[in-house]
Amino acid sequence: MTALVKPRTLFIGLGVLCLLATWLSLALGPVSLPLLDTLRAALRLLGLPVAVDGLEQAELILGQIRLPRTLLGLAVGGVLALSGVAMQGLFRNPLADPGLVGVSSGAALGAAFAIVAGSALGGVPEAFGPYVLSLCAFLGGLGVTALVYRLGRRNGQTHVATMLLAGIALTALSGSAVGLFTYLADDATLRTLTFWNLGSLNGASYARLWPLLLVSAGVALWLPRRARELNALLLGESEAAHLGVNVEALKRELVFCTALGVGAAVAAAGMIGFVGLVVPHLVRLVAGPDHRVLLPASVLAGASLLLLADLVARLALAPAELPIGIVTAFIGAPFFLYLLVRGRA
Amino acid sequence: MRLNIRAVALCVALLVNQGASAVDLPQRWVSAGGALSEWVSALGGESKLVGVDTTSQHPESLRALPSIGYQRQLSAEGVLSLRPQILVGTEEMGPPPVLAQIRSAGVQVELFSATPDLPTLRGNLQHLGQLLGTEAEAAQLFDRYQKQLTQQHTRVVEAQRKQKAPGVLLLVGSSGGKPLVAGKGTSADWLLQQAGGHNLATHGGYKSFSVESLAGLNPDVLVFADRALSGEEARAALFRENPILSSTRAARDGRVMELDPTLLVGGLGPRLPQSLVELTAGFYPVESATAP
Repeated sequence: MTALVKPRTLFIGLGVLCLLATWLSLALGPVSLPLLDTLRAALRLLGLPVAVDGLEQAELILGQIRLPRTLLGLAVGGVLALSGVAMQGLFRNPLADPGLVGVSSGAALGAAFAIVAGSALGGVPEAFGPYVLSLCAFLGGLGVTALVYRLGRRNGQTHVATMLLAGIALTALSGSAVGLFTYLADDATLRTLTFWNLGSLNGASYARLWPLLLVSAGVALWLPRRARELNALLLGESEAAHLGVNVEALKRELVFCTALGVGAAVAAAGMIGFVGLVVPHLVRLVAGPDHRVLLPASVLAGASLLLLADLVARLALAPAELPIGIVTAFIGAPFFLYLLVRGRA
Repeated sequence: MRLNIRAVALCVALLVNQGASAVDLPQRWVSAGGALSEWVSALGGESKLVGVDTTSQHPESLRALPSIGYQRQLSAEGVLSLRPQILVGTEEMGPPPVLAQIRSAGVQVELFSATPDLPTLRGNLQHLGQLLGTEAEAAQLFDRYQKQLTQQHTRVVEAQRKQKAPGVLLLVGSSGGKPLVAGKGTSADWLLQQAGGHNLATHGGYKSFSVESLAGLNPDVLVFADRALSGEEARAALFRENPILSSTRAARDGRVMELDPTLLVGGLGPRLPQSLVELTAGFYPVESATAP
């Protein structure tokens, strides 16, 4: 597989796409604002002195609703795609997705626990509700991934195949535990759980955004530094070791970054499928398998895809809203198929 | 001419006055929660509604309004795009961060309790009446409602003097062939009690039930609360799929009833008393029909 486009062209293209998606995400929504108002409000948010007359609504919609939502979309999309690359590199399998090491199912288990147990205990105070849910999801994802990693280790070595199987087993186990919570849940709790599983960028607020922004910025800055090692790993574990790569340390880092990034993303926005699996694929089809390009390009592509999907989620049924998990697959899967078919011809 | 000017002045004064009193009360309403939207309509607020959630299905005309989606999963911008002055909903409405965003945009957000009892309803109606400027109507509506429920109670007590309370099971959502049975603590359970039925289910919440234990309970009456199961044909199909279900006493005697599932959501609604009357009539068939 070779690159269809030069890295420089790719980055310019994806950069423009990402900026465009960001602008659309800020400018469009169920409330239609005049373009000029949106522009002026955006400038005001950047700290430029712009007259305020008649701008209150635009500023509120832009600053309190659309901007946090857009930032959330950028962070979640970027970090999910990045974790996808890390997992596909680790397992040397293009079918790998971040769910394989149990982080998604662990987070789902944590969330189900928070939702069902929270409502059974008479409900957590409203102000803490979202934080408890996010924290439980994050810890659940981290916990299950740590367990999968531990199970994959033998004699100081991490066996990727064992880890894969342990991941499948623990995913099944968490799945049945979630099923049990579902069974115990009452009608209203069940609905909350279902919607959480479909993911949403709805109701993003700065208070819940900062932890995710920090984590995803950290992961997005750290993982590209491992591009050469990931390239070496493509040849095989022992080959990479002979090339001077500390394979054990690399595996540990990849798993840790994925658990951290996906855990934080899922905690903030619920389960959003498809991005982690297919965005790296899409980029690889266009740009080839070199991780030096693949890693940063996936961040841009994942962020753009998620923002565009969110735009559809917001606008398709306005004033109601679709869960974004439905949209990502609905947009992404046909596009992916198109690339596959075109690539074969 | 002078008279004319005076008349115009009077008209203007009247208009301004009316305008002033109307400004104090919210004129553009969004309502989330089936029963609550029904009450808003019953109190004459239907023309003020500019949007409702997916659980607001009655009266029929509400379905033509823009839908803001499911009440627990509202979108701040979606609601704001309807330019409402007030958003009313039950405590189930959310998520909380979205409500906070809507509030910060200057929209009045009013939460109502969905607890199914009369004191709650009295408070809710009073509150709605104040917000709609129809307090007198609200008080009247409540009095009539209370009277209807008292009559209902008397009816049940009287019927139980002559006949034993029938064992009832209420089934919802059997899309997968396995019906969910309404247990203790559900609004369905409360409804059955009010109608004078004895709920045979002993578990809490809505649980899927093995058909075998369902047959073992052998209910006298089956109540279906599911849109997919309305109509003879759908029920016939269900009985065909679950032969054991059709061997219950209820199925043999043809005592199978329907209940509008929207009655089970969002507290006491205005259509409740009438449904209770119908359920009670089904639970306690008229004596003369069974007398020799």
